[in-house]
Amino acid sequence: MSEVHLDAAGHEEPSFSTKAIWRTFWVLLIITLLELTLAIIYYESPGLRPYKHFVNGLYVIGTLAKAFFIIAEFMHLRHEIKNLILSLVFPAMLFIWFLIAFLWDGNSFKNLRNRYDRYEYQQSQTPLAKKPGVE
Amino acid sequence: MSQAITAGQKWWSGGKSPYNVEYGKLMMWFFLMSDAFTFGAFLISYGTIRFSSNSWPNPNEVFRSFPGVKGEMPIPLAFVSLMTFILIMSSVTMVMAVAAGHNNDRKGVMKWMAWTILGGLAFLSCQAWEWTHLHSEGAWWGANPFLNIDGTQSSTNFTNFFFTITGFHGFHVFSGVIINIIMLIMTWKGSFDRKGHYLMIEKAGLYWHFVDLVWVFVFTCFYLL
Amino acid sequence: MSNDVSLHGHSEVAASHNAHHEEHGVHHHKEAFITKYVFSQDHKMICKQFIITGMIWAILGGLMSVLFRLQLGYPDTSFPILEDIFGKWAQGGKIKPEFYYALVTMHGTVLVFFVLTGGLSGTFANFLIPLQVGARDMASPFLNMLSYWFFFMASVVILSSLFVQTGPASGGWTVYPPLSALGDASQGSKAGIDLWITGMALFVVSSLLGGLNYITTILNMRTKGMSMTRLPLTIWAILFTAILGVLSFPVLLSGLILLLFDRHAGTSFYLSDIFISSTQKALPNEGGSAILFQHLFWFLGHPEVYIIILPAMGLVSEVLSVNSRKPVFGYMAMVGSLFAITILAFLVWAHHMFITGLNPFLGSVFVLLTLLIAVPSAIKVFNWLTTLWKGNIRFTPAMLFAIGFVSLFISGGLTGIFLGNSTLDIALHDTYFVVAHFHIVMGVSAFFGMFAGVYHWFPKMYGRYLNNTMGYIHFWVTLIGAYLIFWPMHYEGLAGMPRRYMDYSGWVSFRQFGDLNRFISTVAMVVFAVQLMFVFNFFYSIFKGRRVTNQNPWGAATMEWTTPIRPGHGNWPGEIPEVHRWAYDYAKDGREFIPQTEPVSGNESKH
Repeated sequence: MSEVHLDAAGHEEPSFSTKAIWRTFWVLLIITLLELTLAIIYYESPGLRPYKHFVNGLYVIGTLAKAFFIIAEFMHLRHEIKNLILSLVFPAMLFIWFLIAFLWDGNSFKNLRNRYDRYEYQQSQTPLAKKPGVE
Repeated sequence: MSQAITAGQKWWSGGKSPYNVEYGKLMMWFFLMSDAFTFGAFLISYGTIRFSSNSWPNPNEVFRSFPGVKGEMPIPLAFVSLMTFILIMSSVTMVMAVAAGHNNDRKGVMKWMAWTILGGLAFLSCQAWEWTHLHSEGAWWGANPFLNIDGTQSSTNFTNFFFTITGFHGFHVFSGVIINIIMLIMTWKGSFDRKGHYLMIEKAGLYWHFVDLVWVFVFTCFYLL
Repeated sequence: MSNDVSLHGHSEVAASHNAHHEEHGVHHHKEAFITKYVFSQDHKMICKQFIITGMIWAILGGLMSVLFRLQLGYPDTSFPILEDIFGKWAQGGKIKPEFYYALVTMHGTVLVFFVLTGGLSGTFANFLIPLQVGARDMASPFLNMLSYWFFFMASVVILSSLFVQTGPASGGWTVYPPLSALGDASQGSKAGIDLWITGMALFVVSSLLGGLNYITTILNMRTKGMSMTRLPLTIWAILFTAILGVLSFPVLLSGLILLLFDRHAGTSFYLSDIFISSTQKALPNEGGSAILFQHLFWFLGHPEVYIIILPAMGLVSEVLSVNSRKPVFGYMAMVGSLFAITILAFLVWAHHMFITGLNPFLGSVFVLLTLLIAVPSAIKVFNWLTTLWKGNIRFTPAMLFAIGFVSLFISGGLTGIFLGNSTLDIALHDTYFVVAHFHIVMGVSAFFGMFAGVYHWFPKMYGRYLNNTMGYIHFWVTLIGAYLIFWPMHYEGLAGMPRRYMDYSGWVSFRQFGDLNRFISTVAMVVFAVQLMFVFNFFYSIFKGRRVTNQNPWGAATMEWTTPIRPGHGNWPGEIPEVHRWAYDYAKDGREFIPQTEPVSGNESKH
C-alpha cells in the first residue's frame, strides 16, 4: 500500500515538498525585486531613456520567467504527464500571432493617423503647459 | 495489473484519462485556458491602444503613494510591490494547503486555507485603498488627471484600461476568496475526508494560482512597461 | 494498479457515476416531470431541449429574412398586414428603415449564434458524444444542464430585446462601434444593444460550460478500446468545435465588456473624434480605435464560422460513409484537415477587415494565411467525393442532405477564394457577393449538415422515423431553392450592388435587378414554407412516426446503435461495451458492416 500511497499523494512525492515551494517563492520574489530595482534605476537616471525598449525586454523576460515558475511549480504542471503539458502549451501558442497582429495594427493606426491628421498630430506633440489658454 | 506511469503507457487507448487526471481538474485547466484568453484579450487591447497612442503616462509618476505616508514616497511602486508580495505569499500558502490535502491532513488544509483567504482579503483591501486613492486624485473611468510622460495631454484610456483590467482581476480574486471560503467550510465539515481525497482543494488551488499568474502580467503591463 | 490509485479521484468518480447511471438505466424508476423534462441532466434530453429551442429560433430568424426579403422584392408595395403586426415599425404597411436594420441584425444574430452554434453544436454534441464514445453521460451532467439553461436565458434576453420600445440591436450582427457604442447615434443603439450584449454574455457562458464538458468527455470518458483514432469523425469535429469555442468566445466577451464601458462609463476604448449629427454634438472621447473592436470581434467571429461548419462536416462525413456502405476515405487526412482548419481559424480573422483601415501589409499576411484554408477544405471535399465513389449508395433523406452539403460547400467555398484576396475585396466587400458567399458556405450548408444529422439520428433520438416523402420534398425544394436564392446574388454583387440597403430602385445601376430581387424573394418564401413542413414533420413524427423496430436501422458501425432503441439515462443497460476497431468497417470481408464493438477475429483482412 505504501507504493500506492506514494502515487496517490502526487505522482512524485517530492514535488510537493515544502522545500520546493519555498524555493519557488524566493525565485519569484527575487525576480520581482530585480524588476523593481530596474524600474527605479531607469526612473532615476534620465541617461537610460534611449534604452527603454531594452529595459522593456528585460521586464518581459522577467514576467515570462515568473509565469513559468507559477505554472510549473505552483500549478504543478511540470509534474503532470507530457500529454497534459502539451495540450495546454499548444493552444497557448495562439497568443503569439494574437499579440503580434494586434500590436502591429495598433502601431499602424498611430502612423496612419499621424500622417493624415496633421492637426491632431501637432496637438499631441505640444506639452499641455505650452498650449495657449493653459496656465 | 500494474499500470505504472511509464513512457510506454498507452494513454489514448480509451477507458482511462489520457492525462492521468480526473475530469474536474481537466475541466478546470481548460477553463483557465479560456479565462487566459479573456485576460489576454484585455491586455492585448490595452497594448494595441498604447501602440496607437503617441505618448502615455509614466507609471512611476502615477503610482507612488503609500498608505499612511503623506505626499509621495521617495521610491515609486512601493505599494504595488507590497500587493505583489501579498499575492505571491497567498499562492505559497495555497500550495501548502494542496500539499496538506495530498497527505489527507485536515488540520493542515484548514490552517493554510485560512492563511490563503487572509492573503486574498489583504490583497483586495490594498486594491480598494489604491482605487480610492486614485479616485481622490481625480482618476476614474473616463477621467484621467495624469499627463503623458512628455507633458502632453493624455487620453482617458490610461485610467480606463487600468480600472477595467485591475477591476476584472480584482473580481477574480474576490470570486477566488469566495471559493476558498467554501472550500474551508467543506474541509471543516469533513466533506473531503468522507470523499477520501482533497482534489477539490487542488482545483481551487489551480484557480487561485491562475489569479496570481494574471497579476504577474497585469503588474508588468501597468506598472513596469 | 498504481495508476488506478493515482487516479483515485477519477476512478472513484467514474465508478460512482456508473453506479448512479446503472441504477437509472436498469430500474427505470419514475422520475419527476421537472427533473426528466425540464431540469434534466440526461444528455439525450438536453439535446432535445437544444434542438427544439434551436428550431423555434430558426423559425423566428427565417421569418425575419422573409420579412426583409418582402421589402427587397417589393419595395414599392405596401402590405397592410405588416402594420397590424408590427405597428409603428411598419407604418402604412411599409417596413421602416430602422426596422429593416433591426430585422437584418437579429436575423444574423439569431441564426449565427442561436441556431447554428447553440442549436447545432448543442444538439449533436450532447446527443452523440456520450453515445459514440461510450460514456454514461457527459463528464459533468450538472454543468451540461446549466449550459442549456444559460442558453435559454440568453434566448429570453435576446427575445425580449425585440419588444423594447426603441427596438432591438440594429447595427448589424457584428455590432461595430461607434454606432453600437453611442445611444444617440440610432434607435437600435439604445436599450437593444444592452440587451444584445447581456444576451451574448449569457450565451458565452453557456457555450463555455458546454464546450468544457464536450472536451473533457471526449478526452477523458472514452470507453475501453476507444482510442482517439477509433473515434467517429463526428466526435473529432465536435472536439475541434468545442476547442474553437472555448478559446475564442472569451475574446468576444472581453470586447463586449469594453463596449459596455464605452456605452455607460464614459470610456473611449473604441471612440475617437466623433460628431453626432442627430444631437449636433462633438464628443469628448479621444484616443480609442474602432478597429480594435473589429479585431476583437473577428478574433471570435472567424473561429465562429468554423464553429458552425465543423459539426456539419463531421455529421456529413458519418452519414456519407454509412449510406455509401463504404469506409470514409482518408480518415487520418480528414482528422488532419479538421485540425488544420482549427489552427488556421485562429490566424485569419483580419480578412474580414481588409478595407477598414487595417495596415495593408498586415492584410497581405492575412491573405496568405486565409488562402491556406483552401488546402484542408479541398482535402475534405475530395475525401467526401472519394467516399461516395463506387459506393453502394442508399439515397435516404439524410444522405441527400449530406450530398447537398458537399455541393453547397464547394460552391460557397470557391467564392471564398475570391474574397480572401485583399485586392479583389476592394471591389467585392459589402456587396451581395459576400452575402451569397457566406450564406451558401456556412449558412445553408451548415443547415444541410444539420438536416442530414436530424434525419439520420432522429430514430435514435425518438425511436421513430421521420416521414420520408416529406423528407424528399424538403430536400429538393431546399437545395434548388438555396441555389436559386443565392446564385443570382453573386451577379448582383459583381455588379457592385451593396448589402444593407432596403430599396435599390433609386439607383440606375441597380434598378435592373428589381425583377431578380422579386424572384429571389419569392423563392425565399417557398423555401421558408418548406422548412415549416420539416418542422411539422419533426413534431408529427415524434408522436406518430413509423416506429423503429431494428436496433440498428441504418446498419451503422458506431456505438450509439448498440444501445436499446429507446435508451434510458445511462445509455447501456449493462456494462458499456468495449471497442475493438475503428468506426468505419463497412464492406469488409464480404460483410456489409462490422460494429465497433465486435472483437477482431484472427482471419480478418487488414484495412
